[in-house]
Amino acid sequence: MRPFSLRSMTAGLIALLTATVLIGCRRTEQPTAQKPAGAAVRATRRAYAGAPPVIPHGPLKASCVTCHTESGDQIAGLGFAPANPHIGTRYAGATQNCRQCHLFRNSDALFAESSFSGLRHEERRGSRAGPGAPPRIPHQKLMRENCRACHTGPSARPEIRCTHPERTNCRQCHLFETTSELWTAAVPGSP
Amino acid sequence: MDRRQFIRAAGLGAASVGCSCEPAFAEGESASTLTNVVWDKAPCRYCGTGCGVEVAVRDNRVVAVRGDENSPVNRGLLCAKGYHLPSMLYGKDRLTHPLRRDASGTLTRISWDEALDLIAQHFGEALSAHGPESVAVYGSGQWTIFDGYAALKWVKAGMRSNNIDPNARLCMASAVMGFVTQFQSDEPMGCYDDLDIGHDFFLWGNNMAEMHPVLFSRILENKRRNPHVNIVDIATRWTPTSDFADMFVQIRPGSDLALANGILHELVQTGQVDHAFLRENVVFRRGIEDAETIGYGCFGDQAERYTFKDQPRDSSFEELQEFLKDYSPERVSDITGVSAAQIRVLARMYGNRQRNTVSLWCMGVNQHVRGTWMNNLITDLHLITGKISRPGNNPFSLTGQPSACGTAREVGTLSNRLPADMVVMKEEHRRKAEEIWKVPPGTINPKPGYHAVDMFRALQRGDVKTMWIQVTNPWVTLPNLSRFERRPGDGRFVVVSDIYPTPTTEVADLVLPSAAWVEREGLFGNSERRTHHWNKMIDPPGEAKEDAWQIMQVARRMGMDHLFPWADQDDWHERMYEEYRRFTIGTGKDLAGYEQLRATRGLRWPVVKGKETRYRYAAGHDPYVKKKSGVHFYKAKGYGEKAAIWLRPWHPPAEVPDDEYPFWLSTGRILEHWHTGSMTRRVPELHQAAPAAWVEINRADAQELNVQNGDAVRLVSRRGEIVLEARIDDRGRPPRRSLFVPFFDESRLVNLLTLDAMDNISKEPDFKKCAVRVEKV
Repeated sequence: MRPFSLRSMTAGLIALLTATVLIGCRRTEQPTAQKPAGAAVRATRRAYAGAPPVIPHGPLKASCVTCHTESGDQIAGLGFAPANPHIGTRYAGATQNCRQCHLFRNSDALFAESSFSGLRHEERRGSRAGPGAPPRIPHQKLMRENCRACHTGPSARPEIRCTHPERTNCRQCHLFETTSELWTAAVPGSP
Repeated sequence: MDRRQFIRAAGLGAASVGCSCEPAFAEGESASTLTNVVWDKAPCRYCGTGCGVEVAVRDNRVVAVRGDENSPVNRGLLCAKGYHLPSMLYGKDRLTHPLRRDASGTLTRISWDEALDLIAQHFGEALSAHGPESVAVYGSGQWTIFDGYAALKWVKAGMRSNNIDPNARLCMASAVMGFVTQFQSDEPMGCYDDLDIGHDFFLWGNNMAEMHPVLFSRILENKRRNPHVNIVDIATRWTPTSDFADMFVQIRPGSDLALANGILHELVQTGQVDHAFLRENVVFRRGIEDAETIGYGCFGDQAERYTFKDQPRDSSFEELQEFLKDYSPERVSDITGVSAAQIRVLARMYGNRQRNTVSLWCMGVNQHVRGTWMNNLITDLHLITGKISRPGNNPFSLTGQPSACGTAREVGTLSNRLPADMVVMKEEHRRKAEEIWKVPPGTINPKPGYHAVDMFRALQRGDVKTMWIQVTNPWVTLPNLSRFERRPGDGRFVVVSDIYPTPTTEVADLVLPSAAWVEREGLFGNSERRTHHWNKMIDPPGEAKEDAWQIMQVARRMGMDHLFPWADQDDWHERMYEEYRRFTIGTGKDLAGYEQLRATRGLRWPVVKGKETRYRYAAGHDPYVKKKSGVHFYKAKGYGEKAAIWLRPWHPPAEVPDDEYPFWLSTGRILEHWHTGSMTRRVPELHQAAPAAWVEINRADAQELNVQNGDAVRLVSRRGEIVLEARIDDRGRPPRRSLFVPFFDESRLVNLLTLDAMDNISKEPDFKKCAVRVEKV
């Protein structure tokens, strides 16, 4: 795995921006120096936090996984194709038909105006048991087993980029929080 | 405090709360990640797969969904339509108030009281002046069980009419009649578990990757784990399903019966018949086979009313052998275009006892002038090889609407049916319904009403005076649409309940706003006999009301309070369901109790002692089968509790291409849009993926016509014409002289071209085969 450099980060950012400009997304917000472009771009491609993103490029007459490999791939003349996040999913075979969930955006028109306002992605850090403890995972998994897809490589947004991509079993240390409650012991302690 | 209030209150206190079903949190969710959001479970609103979704509600609005990882149907995965369910509710043009068309033709707002009085008045007047044949209700496989049950009871026990039919007549009727003619009970014996354990999957005219993507993904997962799994795509064009297939069998439109008979011929000729199974479990039947006598329901007198009735008789294995002599692989090859060698391969696969065989089909087989027959032949292939009612071995009919099974088929909202496999023609069935409904004996009319197409023909003639249409859009979906052109004010009265304006509300005299999906409590039944309950999660917009409520209010105004004695009680849903459930208990179609449905992701009937059934008629699975092993088709009393193999010949389609109209035209759905698009087109992401209908044309034909990809072309049939964008080598690739057009686009109505030919037994129209010509615009 290559170490991250400022160059690769910049290249990734430029690729994302270029893709967005080329596709001409309807709801693109102009990135500013204060706000990372990645988060804004991310929101334009999802109906709500947790919705599968629409495809930000036109049909390329190729199988999706040719470019969207386990680690992602730099495609000459096109940019970086982010990794397939579904590799390693429990029913991975069920995610082969990419266009079952991911839509092309062939038009900017609306059939009828919509008042839908979806759940927004909440950016936050995962909570830690203490300084130096691995943070817990602060988001839903939603069939994205391949953490590297978003957290490593050129398409990883700087704020969520992993500092130690060489360690591949992420959930060895990073836990999902599946309940807000604490354990109640069956055997009560002394009062 | 009702359930919803409780959840709301809980939601205010805790940051997040799960639904009543375990576990409270999906993996990856946490109290800190999604603030002030309440999740609850529901089935998806769209197709018959019945995927489980979890719906996120905040401030009385749906803000997100996710695939329900605890649903045994979809295990967390949805399709593009399912993931974009939330915005389906929020088109700014939602219907929010009752609207009446005034003399100038514009819709103006009226109160619910005025609207309901008006409906009661029109139905009452038609009944007293013209009798029960002059009123009609056209419903839907998207009706919840409550809506369908209320409508059925109002029409059959209140108005003593049988003019109630659902849009499922355009969709599932052939499958119903297939199961009924063979097992004397509707709906499949198998279930989705077969998708995980089958070896050879035969898709008969079924583009599963687009129409049932979540179920197709289960086959793909099976194939990933077991590389020897085969997908055999028997189709008239190359589709996204073909991309994943191991074998593509291209057949000529309408030749599928010949192919199935060809496979049967080979099975019999090569001794791949399970004679022990046949002796124990099967009888042989055949009916009228003369094409002239049967007709197609759209020519001559049949174009006004089509009431063909079969005259079945007993047959035998010897007769079958004789009958199949006409279907040698070589002759079948001439009809179908499939090579004789490939037909022999298909027969070897069906006959191989070492491998599990699943046949799947949907509209290609059902929307067919001999759709019931084709359903029969597919099941014949399983009966003759004994590959039925066994895990991994079944014929399985897929449904297109979320409650085509649960409502249209099980409640029986068809012109000839009553709940739980009963029919109005049989006195004992009428008596049982009258008893449960507490109405006097003789109330239910023994004469079947109009099937869907005849119902609209009768409206056009003026024989039907008053019609109520709910949850469906016939002025987009009926075949040969120009026959049914209507102007309000023609002396008939048409009421339409819907959630958005459609071409159907455009021709209505009165438009009612309905509550959609999780805006009301509901129950759907999916393709695998799974009944799935959901809670009301948000309020409907404006004054929108659920369809069942609308019907009960009109019934009350017509003096039929006695039919819905609990209509004003808070728990009327449960009370109505428990009454309906009585029809099913002890019949082999037993439904689960309400509390159990609330607490689960749906259960597959028969549910006996709280336990669901995966395989009907199978020993060790179905509680009604007392045998130690094997199968028992206990519902088929008329066949000595055996299943029927039917001898069914191949007939040519009603219209075939000629010099003037040289192209085949097939119509259908696409992945992005659901049926007429009245919901999915209001979802920005779905509309932007597929903004307008197109025509798929073969590259060689396009070259001959000097048509480039994206050019506009005019399609002309004997009935109408439309202009569409030509697509060459796109997602679907038809062979020479063959076209495909999706039907979701209300401004490009492909049903102006289609023919109102229909199946002789089910009366389901054939939307898949007519003749057109192509002109460059």
